[in-house]
Amino acid sequence: MNPTYFLFLIYIIVCTLIITYWASKRSKTTNRFYIASGSLTGFQNGMAIAGDFISAASFLGIVGMVAIRGYDGFLYSIGFLVSYVVVLLLIAEPIHRLGKYSLGDVICSRFPSDKMRLIMAFCTVTISILYIIPQLVASGFLLRLLLDIDYSVSVIVIGGLMTVYVVVGGMIATSWVQIVKTVLLMSGTFLLTLIVFSHFSWNIEKLIGEVKAGTPLAEKFFLPGNLFDNPLEFLSLQLALVLGTAGLPHILIRLFTVRNTFEVRRSLISSTWIIGIFYLMTLVLGLGTVALLGYDSLMGLDPTGNLAAPLLAKEVGGDFLLAFVSAIAFTTIIAVVAGLVISATTAFSHDIFHHIIRKGKSTENEQLRAARWSALGIGVISTLFALRLETINVTFLVSMTFIVAASSIFPVLLLMIYWKRFTTVGVVTGILSGLIASLICVILGPYIMNPVDGWIKAESVFTLYNPGIITIPIGFLGAYVGTILSSKPSTTIAECNEFYLNAQSGISSRREN
Amino acid sequence: MEERILYLIRKRKQMMVPTLAVALLFYFILPVSLIFIPDVMNRPSFIYRIPWAWLYAFLQIPMTWFLCGLYHKTATKLEKQLDDINKEKSL
Repeated sequence: MNPTYFLFLIYIIVCTLIITYWASKRSKTTNRFYIASGSLTGFQNGMAIAGDFISAASFLGIVGMVAIRGYDGFLYSIGFLVSYVVVLLLIAEPIHRLGKYSLGDVICSRFPSDKMRLIMAFCTVTISILYIIPQLVASGFLLRLLLDIDYSVSVIVIGGLMTVYVVVGGMIATSWVQIVKTVLLMSGTFLLTLIVFSHFSWNIEKLIGEVKAGTPLAEKFFLPGNLFDNPLEFLSLQLALVLGTAGLPHILIRLFTVRNTFEVRRSLISSTWIIGIFYLMTLVLGLGTVALLGYDSLMGLDPTGNLAAPLLAKEVGGDFLLAFVSAIAFTTIIAVVAGLVISATTAFSHDIFHHIIRKGKSTENEQLRAARWSALGIGVISTLFALRLETINVTFLVSMTFIVAASSIFPVLLLMIYWKRFTTVGVVTGILSGLIASLICVILGPYIMNPVDGWIKAESVFTLYNPGIITIPIGFLGAYVGTILSSKPSTTIAECNEFYLNAQSGISSRREN
Repeated sequence: MEERILYLIRKRKQMMVPTLAVALLFYFILPVSLIFIPDVMNRPSFIYRIPWAWLYAFLQIPMTWFLCGLYHKTATKLEKQLDDINKEKSL
């Protein structure tokens, strides 16, 4: 390995471990371990949310997609950004008011029962692990390509680090690793963007001219239709992107880490600014890659396009800038997986261990011990899965995560907050119908059933890679039908009114659960 | 007192629902127009002759910032009134 790459990597690892050590001194209570005692400011939490949300797929994948597919690559990022309007306006403030540590707390604020808590905990753990595995697998390949480290070593290093951050430092360490990642990512991409512009004498028209010369698509590069040729697929993807974020547990639990709803709104507004500016810069980097490297060179070096940003960095700044961008990619991965581990840990130790197994009677020390062991278990299990799944295409797991989140968790949270007739039966049928529909559509879809490279060598039953347009309405319909068919309401009118007041204004607070 | 709280909640909803509707409508017009009127979207616009498809996609970013900011401003104002009610209640 090039010594510059190695030094950058060691520097990142040492810095994040120092943060974790510092955080460990401050994570002695469950309140601090799970939600950093709500001590983050809105801006800090906004940076952490951006750090939690922008995965390596966003940083490297979107730059590559813009470089290869032009306009359609940029459309991906728009869906990710607008999804935050849905989160802010519909569910962010009620979730902050109703929950304490987990989504299980949120659902139990209206339907207090072990069954409800177990269902939500199960969904959170499943979605988190489903999302950790592809991130770890992708990180293994990425580090092998960037730094020439063996796949297994890469996965073990990243899996080990994410586990250490959460076991030792809990939410405080996770949040600060995510904040550091956002600072590094934004400064790195900003620097690279400036260098790209300077190569074209700060003239956008010159850049656009070079892009047209560098791609086989020529003029068509700037026109829609180079990636999405199936209108239904296109619409379905946009729907899943815009609603998916509102069902992602690792993003939603970040809303508990600030002290009030004013800071919740500031968190989300800060994150939309960071994410919006970031995607504008990735657009420039994608264009810069085609203009400076050319399509053929990019395809020759990496046909997937995932190495577009690092290759661009090497072209404009040599080995040093490549090492810096590789370090950013590394930090990007560890920050996202750490966020996912803390989300699954909270669901397991707080909801399942403390509330269901110990009936809410475990002591602070027992809860903390359970949380640390849960984090260790989740980290080890995810890492082992990632090691075993080296040879399979894991793209469907990422797609599946967003679809399951948008089809099961989002409908249930939304109806629970706003629909007074909603019942526990509706929660169960909503989650199950969304989950089962997502499973069926993905298993019988082209990711799994494909005559060329699918697990099942046959024509797919469903043609959509992103079946959100089918599964999201099924999730809502399941919740509606379950509620209508249930014989009696799960809560009295008085309880319902109290819940509504609490969710919408926070005035009759019941945050002791 | 509860009526005053409900009134403020209603006021927030009166702002939230149209804001969300505008955001989703503005967002989904992009894919729908790219599907049904691609020729129009590929025509150059009046701003530096950028195609409408690009201009509209770029506009989604300030639209997100603007709507989030607008909601935050209104929600903060209403929240202050809720805090006053809460203080009265605790006295």
